[in-house]
Amino acid sequence: MCLRSTAGDRLGAVNRGRLLGSLPLRVCCAVLGLWCLGASAADSRVVPYAGSRGSVTFLTRTELRDIFFARQTKWPNGDPIRVFVLPDRHPLHIRFSKELLGVYPYQLRSTWDRILYSGTGVPPTVVNTPQEVHERVDETPGGIGYAEE
Amino acid sequence: MMSTTPRSIARVLGTITGLLIGLAPPAHAIDLGFRDFQMHGFASQGYTYTSANDFFGNSQGAGSLEFTELGLNVLGHPLPNLLFAVQGLYRDTGGSDEGDFRLDYANLDLSLPVSDDLTFGVRGGRVKNPFGFYNEARDAIWTRPGVLLPQSIYFDSLGLRASELASDGGLLYGRYRFGDHAFTTELTISELITDPTTVDFITGFVAGPGTLSGRPLLVGRAGYEWQEGRFRLLFTVVDVDQDFEPSSPKGSPGNAKIFAPLVSAQVNLEDWSFTGEYLRISSDRSGFTPGGVLLEQTSESYYLQAQYRFAPRWSALARYDALFANSDDHDGSATARATGLPRHRFYAKDLTVGLRWEFLDDWLVAAEYHNVDGTAWLSPVDNPGINNPALVREVSDGHWDLFALMFSYRF
Repeated sequence: MCLRSTAGDRLGAVNRGRLLGSLPLRVCCAVLGLWCLGASAADSRVVPYAGSRGSVTFLTRTELRDIFFARQTKWPNGDPIRVFVLPDRHPLHIRFSKELLGVYPYQLRSTWDRILYSGTGVPPTVVNTPQEVHERVDETPGGIGYAEE
Repeated sequence: MMSTTPRSIARVLGTITGLLIGLAPPAHAIDLGFRDFQMHGFASQGYTYTSANDFFGNSQGAGSLEFTELGLNVLGHPLPNLLFAVQGLYRDTGGSDEGDFRLDYANLDLSLPVSDDLTFGVRGGRVKNPFGFYNEARDAIWTRPGVLLPQSIYFDSLGLRASELASDGGLLYGRYRFGDHAFTTELTISELITDPTTVDFITGFVAGPGTLSGRPLLVGRAGYEWQEGRFRLLFTVVDVDQDFEPSSPKGSPGNAKIFAPLVSAQVNLEDWSFTGEYLRISSDRSGFTPGGVLLEQTSESYYLQAQYRFAPRWSALARYDALFANSDDHDGSATARATGLPRHRFYAKDLTVGLRWEFLDDWLVAAEYHNVDGTAWLSPVDNPGINNPALVREVSDGHWDLFALMFSYRF
């Protein structure tokens, strides 16, 4: 499935297949066609960022969802996963939610609040700036966040 | 494991100091500096005003401020697959919750992935009961669409609340996903948490003081969700079987069996969410009265709710919520004849409109107006005389309005 996305794109519209007919001019395929981002309005793409762990672009959307919805808490090598995100209304958070996870940001928030106030999971750590995501991921073993490139 | 401990300690101390002197509250969770351990808290203060009847304290006249919810929790993974979580709660909602500190949840949760798509887990301790969409986290307004949850299903002023909320025991869960589809299941086996008002409710107010005992409470929930909850379907079943032992020799022992199926459905679009839940509570009570006839009763509750996120920090709420104490006597006339109480004691139909505004990150205010026909979910503690045929017409009114407001801050 190929999503051309801009910050303002609505998932609903994307999912209705509007873009099957409209050819993105420039398409950057992230990995093996798992998701594709067309750079139309914002000439950038959002990628998962795991610092010194190296590239995590091989994570599928399903795996990213498991991690960011706080269900998967362990990397395959046994290290604990630590997730860092930006505030709910940060443009990069909104893009990451919609373009990479394929969900609305409020779906993440409502899951995080539910696990937090029912004692059934640990929500991601919220930091204020993309630089801070970068720093915290770099200094935290098992850390993962996202970045714009 | 990560981050310098002195920095974390300084942050914790700074936060506590800030909270104490009311300055510079923390913006986000407090990182405790050990693995992913975090501390979160919330403080909510509400206000209720009613045109008749009392809801959460003496809410007529100038209204009531007896609506406070405070929580503090610590969560983290001592091992990557082992979750530790504990939350303390202070809650005061007038006569229906008298304002004390309690352990809300305290559990360990071990998740055991079988494959990429299938996970099983076990949770033990004081666990929140998996009941419908909102039960597990309902005392933090951050998880509620408005100030109050639909009272026909999430009883806040009736004695069933304490038992509905949490229980002491264990829970097994599983999750299987298939592409965008996920199937979940949970089974709780635990000891019922009761207080005197719960005993009244379960025995049907006829037995007087005493204690309940019996086999563990069973709560099962099965669910389906599509695309992380864009569409959600849940089916919950609660099964209670308790023996009642009166504390006074004049009382009569008895047994209460309660079986409650709940169906829940939700659609989440970008700007709109639509939710509906339907609950039946069937109770069989035997004993309690001399002669010990079997009393059978089935109540019926449902609500339909729309939420509209019309601006980034705003949402609007509209809901129709109904409770019928007897599913075959919706207008209460037969039950009224049998009990001498007015018909409006046996139903409540509540039309609600509300607004919720997150005016800053981690701060919100919510306000709502309820137009209510019926008094079935009113607290007998807040409304003394409401179960007394000689007094009820003086102290209650079947048609009433409720206005509720709440501010909340969290970190």
